[in-house]
Amino acid sequence: MRVVIADDSVLVREGIASLLTRSGIEVVAQASSPDELLALVEADQPDAAVIDIRMPPTHTDEGLKAAHEIRARYPDVAIMILSQYVEAGIATRLLAEVPERLGYLLKDRVTAPGEFVDALERVVEGGSALDPQIVSGLLGGGARKDGLERLTAREREVLELVAEGLTNQAIATRLDIALRSVEKHVSTIFTKLGLPDTGSEHRRVLAVLRFLRP
Amino acid sequence: MRGHVAPMEAVSGDLVARPVTRRNAHVLTRFPVHEHSGAVWAAMWAAAAAAEFGALVPVIFAHGAPQKSYDIAFRLLGGSFAACGLIAWRRRPDSRSGALMVAAGAGFFVAPLFSQLDAPLAQTIAMLFTDVWTIPFIALLLTFLTGGRVQTTIDRVLVGVFVLALIVLQFIWLLFLDEEGNVLGVLPHDGIAHVLDRTQRVLTLGGCVATVVVIVARWRVASPPRRRALLPSVGGAVALALFGSLLANDLIGTGTRSELHLWLAITSVGLVPALFLAGLLRSRLARAGLTDLVRSLGGMRGADLEAALARALGDPALVVARVAPGGGYVDAGGAPVALPTAAGERRIVPVERDGQPIAALAYDASLDDDPALVEAVSAAAAIALENEQLQREADARLAELQASRERLVTAGDAERRRLERDLHDGAQQRLVALSMQLRFLQSRIREDPSTAEELADTASAELAESLQELRELARGIHPAVLDHGLETALESLVSRSPVAASLRFSATAALSPPVEIAAYFVVSEALTNVAKYAQARAAEVRVSDAGGRVVVQITDDGVGGAAPGSGSGLRGLADRVEALDGHLSVLSARGGGTTVTAELPCGS
Repeated sequence: MRVVIADDSVLVREGIASLLTRSGIEVVAQASSPDELLALVEADQPDAAVIDIRMPPTHTDEGLKAAHEIRARYPDVAIMILSQYVEAGIATRLLAEVPERLGYLLKDRVTAPGEFVDALERVVEGGSALDPQIVSGLLGGGARKDGLERLTAREREVLELVAEGLTNQAIATRLDIALRSVEKHVSTIFTKLGLPDTGSEHRRVLAVLRFLRP
Repeated sequence: MRGHVAPMEAVSGDLVARPVTRRNAHVLTRFPVHEHSGAVWAAMWAAAAAAEFGALVPVIFAHGAPQKSYDIAFRLLGGSFAACGLIAWRRRPDSRSGALMVAAGAGFFVAPLFSQLDAPLAQTIAMLFTDVWTIPFIALLLTFLTGGRVQTTIDRVLVGVFVLALIVLQFIWLLFLDEEGNVLGVLPHDGIAHVLDRTQRVLTLGGCVATVVVIVARWRVASPPRRRALLPSVGGAVALALFGSLLANDLIGTGTRSELHLWLAITSVGLVPALFLAGLLRSRLARAGLTDLVRSLGGMRGADLEAALARALGDPALVVARVAPGGGYVDAGGAPVALPTAAGERRIVPVERDGQPIAALAYDASLDDDPALVEAVSAAAAIALENEQLQREADARLAELQASRERLVTAGDAERRRLERDLHDGAQQRLVALSMQLRFLQSRIREDPSTAEELADTASAELAESLQELRELARGIHPAVLDHGLETALESLVSRSPVAASLRFSATAALSPPVEIAAYFVVSEALTNVAKYAQARAAEVRVSDAGGRVVVQITDDGVGGAAPGSGSGLRGLADRVEALDGHLSVLSARGGGTTVTAELPCGS
């Protein structure tokens, strides 16, 4: 897998690059600004772009704007947004605007290379990756939606992983249960919550998020 | 006192002569007013001028012996009373004093005009009505303070005495008078005529003395502005005293009148219009003094202001009662003031600002003689009192601003102290521990790889904790998620709320960053309070905008009973909101849930 990394901090950039390299991912280029990032994506045609949400000049949401730009021009490039903080509001907006091949994770997830690479691969393969903190926040906060209380503990676990963007196979592996059981859980969950089972992973992430959002 | 010399003489209506204008009309509207048209006034002036000319014909075209000086003086009284009366009437249509003066003036004309005609009937009329002017003159003197209305019993009795003596008895006397040209003299009898004449003189003398006594008594108890109003009355009393002395001389003295004495008596009647004109001049001067008043009002407040207004009005007893915020009236020092009732000797005029009463002036009723002065002074008072009130409001606002600025600074300091402590006890502590662990790990990494691995795990967990803490802190300092818009930020807040919360965001206007931050912290603090105290099952956050203002409302279904002023959290929020010219309110009935509403201008 070939990725470009965009972060205005050299240290963070190099850190992410070395962690990814050690996990067998090819870091083809590093950018320190949105413009540089766009030029590098153009030149290198990577599989994914790992983008810090805050970049110059205003250090607010340049990363998001760059992600939109990349998606518009090079729809095949997967996008992984990294941030020092994650917010449910941003996640729902992001997923609504850029539904496929998108990840939104806390920056420190990089320090657990296994899971981070998993998420990256999922996104490159067409899925989504949402930070567990957002999902647990939505599920564990007070904004409990009607229907959630009818889920069993196991179904809740599955729902969390669905919301994070995991495929059924990945959920089976993570929970160490059979794929068929996962499929059954997912179907029960969607019925209990009254959600349409869309089949594709990224769509069901959005459906779950929309359901959970306040 | 027969012939052309009558017992009394007149007075002037009111102190002030100036046409009623729209400017001073509001003072006058407190009285029922009937105004004559311009043609009516012109006709009355013309009639007065013609009568005066007629009365002076024998003087102007005199062929025989020169006229007596007192006779000329008497002929001039009609015109002067009529002129002053017309001026006063025009000026104060609600007062009858002007009309009484005009009536007195007309009375003065009767004898000089009718005596010029040769017809016996005219001669008789001249004889019968020689002293008729006295009736309105006495009424005028007695009613300067009551708008020309005879109201008290003593006034009625006194006027009645003169009517009896100078009209009724005069008529009867003429029946018995044997004189050429007296068509009434049907029962000529010198003896009866003489007795009647004596009776008339006694009665008239008594009336004069009583009237003088009454006027002097009223003068003694009058306030300064009322004394000014009574001044023509006093002039009239002097004339009455002189006439009284003439009568006394007729009755018990030599029986012959000295020319000087007569001249003095008649001329002193002219004191009434003269003093009336003096009053007019005084009020013109008083109005000229208004310029100084207005000029000096600028920095004047409280007792100084009251003194200046009292000086300008010439009424030391003036009360300036300011409308208190909670209703009622207060003085300059803030002590409650009871306004005198509007009836009686004091008048109340409200002082308004934009249609709202801000004060009331209680002044002497006699000042209504100069409505323009009262109007001008109350207008000046309105400016000064408005200034005073604005100044007071500005002071209060300034004090509140100072207090809220102080609270903001204090809150900022407290917040920094809290951040420092959180950093010190949390992330900083962890990082120190982490750095020690790393050193330890470094020493173990070769000889004891399994311990080193454990240490690395712990260190990693510590690090993750530190990062989480720093994130929370950073969010407390500035919610970075606001970079993505208020709606996104609030959605995140609501999703984190421990109590189930929903968001309805319908604001479309662009909000300035400070307003967004304030709205965010209002929602954040309100949701925190809901979680901590409300025991609520659900909360709702609504954001809408209308007319350039955004309304942020957080409602819960909890126990309520939150005091708006309680807790530094809400107070701090209120300061933050008010600093942006917004308003924060808390509605929290016990058992009825809590609603926190912040209203802010969209862009400030």
